[in-house]
Amino acid sequence: MKPVLAVMYREYLIRRTSLMWMFFDVIVPLLYLLLFGVAFDRAFGTSFIIDGMPVRYNDFFLAGVLAMTCFGNAVNQTYGFFVDRDNGIFFEHLTYPLTRGQLLFGKILFQGIMTIAQTITTLTAAELILEVHIQIVMIPLIFLAVVIGTAGWFFSLSNVAFLIRRNDTFNLVINASYFILMFMSSLFYPIDQVPVWLRVPSLANPLTWHANILRYLTIGTGSSMEIALQSLLFLGFLFISFKIAVHTIQRSA
Amino acid sequence: MTAANIIEVHNLTKVFAKRKNSPVRALNGISFNVEKGQIFGLLGPNGAGKSTAIKILTTLLSPTSGTAIVGGYDVVSHGNEVRKTICAVVQENAIELYLSVRNNFRSFGKFHGSSAVEIDKQIDHVSELFNLREFLNEAGVDLSGGMKRRVQVAKMFLIDKPVVFLDEATTGMDTFNKRTTIEAIREESHKGRTILLTTHLLDEAEALCDAVAIINHGVMLAQGCIEEVKSMGIQLYTVTITCRPDFTEIRRWLEMKNPVSIEQTQGTFAVSVTTEEQALDIINTARLKNVLLQFEVSRASLEDTFVELIDKKTGVST
Repeated sequence: MKPVLAVMYREYLIRRTSLMWMFFDVIVPLLYLLLFGVAFDRAFGTSFIIDGMPVRYNDFFLAGVLAMTCFGNAVNQTYGFFVDRDNGIFFEHLTYPLTRGQLLFGKILFQGIMTIAQTITTLTAAELILEVHIQIVMIPLIFLAVVIGTAGWFFSLSNVAFLIRRNDTFNLVINASYFILMFMSSLFYPIDQVPVWLRVPSLANPLTWHANILRYLTIGTGSSMEIALQSLLFLGFLFISFKIAVHTIQRSA
Repeated sequence: MTAANIIEVHNLTKVFAKRKNSPVRALNGISFNVEKGQIFGLLGPNGAGKSTAIKILTTLLSPTSGTAIVGGYDVVSHGNEVRKTICAVVQENAIELYLSVRNNFRSFGKFHGSSAVEIDKQIDHVSELFNLREFLNEAGVDLSGGMKRRVQVAKMFLIDKPVVFLDEATTGMDTFNKRTTIEAIREESHKGRTILLTTHLLDEAEALCDAVAIINHGVMLAQGCIEEVKSMGIQLYTVTITCRPDFTEIRRWLEMKNPVSIEQTQGTFAVSVTTEEQALDIINTARLKNVLLQFEVSRASLEDTFVELIDKKTGVST
């Protein structure tokens, strides 16, 4: 456990150097929800019918914001890897007394704590300001789901950071992934109403699985069977990404 | 592994596969041992394979074949055990850019299992030793290249791991800090730590190392203690001699002594010979002829031997 705590301590020291950064990290999903969600909620009202029930856009969008936050956190943490490799400290880290898995685990555990702080702020604001009726009993599972979601994307995007040497190429790939994955998912709209060419890839997108799981946990939409299947798929995505990331770290030196 | 050896490298080979070009053989079956408490220099020109060897020994890279044992553990099968016995300065100026120098030290200490109290105590000592006290609150990103290197090297003295790897540790440092670093390395060796270093500065290696290995193009050219390696060169002694100006036959007379080379700078001749007897003969004969004004005998430096070995065995001039 000591090596994992050392990784977390290092991440904490870096994050502490900029309180503005930390503050922004915590409130960014809340800003998304308030600035983006409110406008759409006013425009759509209760026009979404999911499982035969009318759903307000703010209720629907809350899970999308949480899933998007996990993805964004993973991108930020991955960019840290890229910077570390660029200045060489990454290679020094690999000579420290810890396994490659512990290095990844420590980073994601720290980011997981940050994600939980973001989730608490966002859920509180959603409940109190936007009157979203969150399933309180599911909150521990929501925390678990956001940590697992961040981890899955972090491990997966780490491979991109290790394989790409150029900063501009890395940014291009990340931006393109951000754009494609977010719009080909159920973050912003229910995918059962979109054209088939968009629906099929969206169903294979881990971001869709993650958003659906979070939507099930926050407002209770979706069938239990489908959510169980998507949970298994996401865990598989997490496990494979982790295995590949450990292997890629070893090869990146 | 024998009790005396803390590093054992046997027939180590590393081949890098290249997509478009043919594979590069960075290390070609090198073998060497480093005894506990020794300062061992791995020397060679750019691209010789020194950094690749260090990367394998510090578990950053896996060898293609051969074995490397550090502190009794195989670097491939027991990488984490190896990492528990080592600390390493890698070639880049690698420091935590966004952390202050103090927090660079704290973070490094935590990774190596030191408590906060121990680290802070050591920070005082190390920042004094490396003249970093006034920079402790500066962020890494604001430091010059030489200063970053100093912080990087200073970290090795925060903790007490038995094996230290220093890849071009003094590169970019000014003379004063270079000297401090060399002294600190020597002191650590006296305490029983083993230091494996690479350097381009052969006078530094000669002054510091107990033993060296010279490699080029991944091939071991020579290894042993400094005197052993120096004796592998042909040119062993240089006699610098100045005779009376009226002794006009000096050049012809020196050529009769069968030297390796003669270089003339105005009235002074630098004569390279292979044996001590030849050197003494030149001086004695000049003295008997009563023409000797000044003389000096020096043994070939490690740098002379290095250049000669690289030129002779691989045909590559440094």
